[in-house]
Amino acid sequence: MVSEERRKEILDNLSEGVVEYEEDRVVEYATAALEEGLDPFDAIMNGLAAGMEIVGDLYDRQEYFVPEILMCADALYKGLDILKPHLKKDSNGAGKPKGQVVIGTVQGDVHDIGKNLIKMMFDVGGFTVHDLGRDVPLEKFAEEQLRTDSEIVALSAMMTTTMMGMKKVIAMIKEKNPDVAIMLGGAPVTKDVAKLFGADGYAESAGNAVQEAIKMIGQLRKLGEEAAQN
Amino acid sequence: MPEMTPRERVKRFFKREPIDTMPVFSGMGMVTIQAIDKMGIRFAEVHGSPDYLADSASTSSDIYGFDSVVVPYDMCTIPEAMGRGCTVYADAEGILYPTVPSKWDNYESIEIDPDYAAKARMPVVEDAFKKLIADGKYAVGSWVLGPFTLGGQVFELDVLLKGIKKEKEKVEGFMEKMTDVVIDVAKRYQALGTDYITIREMGSGTDLLSPRMWKQLIQPYLRKIFAELESPKILHICGGTDLIVDLMNDCGADALSFDQKNTLAETRKKIGDEVILLGNFDPYGTFCTMDASEVEGVIKGCIDAGVDAVWPGCDLWPEVKKENVEMWVKTVRKYGIRPTPAVGRV
Repeated sequence: MVSEERRKEILDNLSEGVVEYEEDRVVEYATAALEEGLDPFDAIMNGLAAGMEIVGDLYDRQEYFVPEILMCADALYKGLDILKPHLKKDSNGAGKPKGQVVIGTVQGDVHDIGKNLIKMMFDVGGFTVHDLGRDVPLEKFAEEQLRTDSEIVALSAMMTTTMMGMKKVIAMIKEKNPDVAIMLGGAPVTKDVAKLFGADGYAESAGNAVQEAIKMIGQLRKLGEEAAQN
Repeated sequence: MPEMTPRERVKRFFKREPIDTMPVFSGMGMVTIQAIDKMGIRFAEVHGSPDYLADSASTSSDIYGFDSVVVPYDMCTIPEAMGRGCTVYADAEGILYPTVPSKWDNYESIEIDPDYAAKARMPVVEDAFKKLIADGKYAVGSWVLGPFTLGGQVFELDVLLKGIKKEKEKVEGFMEKMTDVVIDVAKRYQALGTDYITIREMGSGTDLLSPRMWKQLIQPYLRKIFAELESPKILHICGGTDLIVDLMNDCGADALSFDQKNTLAETRKKIGDEVILLGNFDPYGTFCTMDASEVEGVIKGCIDAGVDAVWPGCDLWPEVKKENVEMWVKTVRKYGIRPTPAVGRV
């Protein structure tokens, strides 16, 4: 069992490694976490995800922009790749898969930065992610949702010119399964557009996607802490 | 009552000479579904034919009374000529713009064909310009993506963005290559006799890049481009621009164009009355979702904020509501008879 002092040291290094986009540092301390018996869920949520929350603050203060966020995300994934396979199914009751999500950029759109940042949020949160990639034919979203019985479908479009496809996808999915939660993201997507299209949530840009993702990670961290206390 | 021809009006506008009324035009695509339908073709067909491109542009202007025509409509012409391919979605339901299906993902694999300007649809676009210029009815607007945005079309954007920090020299070398292409293509369009050119560095706003990074990574290349081009030359950036308007104004363009995210009244204060400002309404919201009765307020709002011509913030989404576009034209004609900060009236 790792001491509290050592736990803090590992978590701080994971967090700072993400913030400073130091991939080697993240790899070193993620490996140490496993070798020294730190709960991988603790390392993910209070190390990697905590670092990403700081990144969100830096973005809000306009100290970090998308290039920095992408590098922070790379560092986070370096740690996640090491830690995630070792998550215990009953670890605080919080390491259980949260659910499944189908994610992709709609047909006609080849921009996927915002989509990948939202995917990161689901990965960190313990979801099983079915990433369809970019320029995805509209019917593929509905097919994949049915095949995987996913609870969430997340659609991204960076351009107004491709946003219209989202409306069709939502109609296709809701017709077959009205309980599926649909998230929209992308620069042209506004609250009004999301409502008009019948979506359940939205994020308007890559930067906004990261803010939304980080907010959700924060919520998941709180849930994890509550589960640990109970 | 308008006294000048559309072409005359736009040409005088960019010279900042007095005009009769504000021109109704744009530096980006203005094709409408009403023109496509009238021609009896599908949107996917329009991109590959000089006649379809030219006729759909001029038919749109005939229908609505625009002062200019602008081609092409998609951003894949140069990437396609560079061998990155083009997906036109010929079988897709509804309107989809062409996209680039394959991008370079490492700097070592980048190889630009020296003869790219003769490849793929590059001659199609040039032939469309020739037809529109020969017609002479409207001002002919051309555009080229800026080097960073063009780069994002042919190279994986996340690799490029991360490279700004990690592989600075490679990114700079890549930007040099893209800059040379932009200058080359823009000069070709100017040599054909197009009346104005817009450099669309769309993807470089502060949604993505910090002002400091913009100054280091974007501004030097835009300065080089604008130094090489003849007037009239316009710089357009969409997304967050409030923090970089001064930098944009220091690139050598004759006019600046913004989308709806710019706080135009503040920009006008910062920039002063000497520079032509263009913008800045949301074309999709204003023409496709809004009630026609709301359009006048949007357009008048742009004029009151200090634009010299009311440009959409991006290409028109072709499936416009006819009455909304008509209201754009009507409102500009109604309020555009008064002088604007940079352009007087006869």
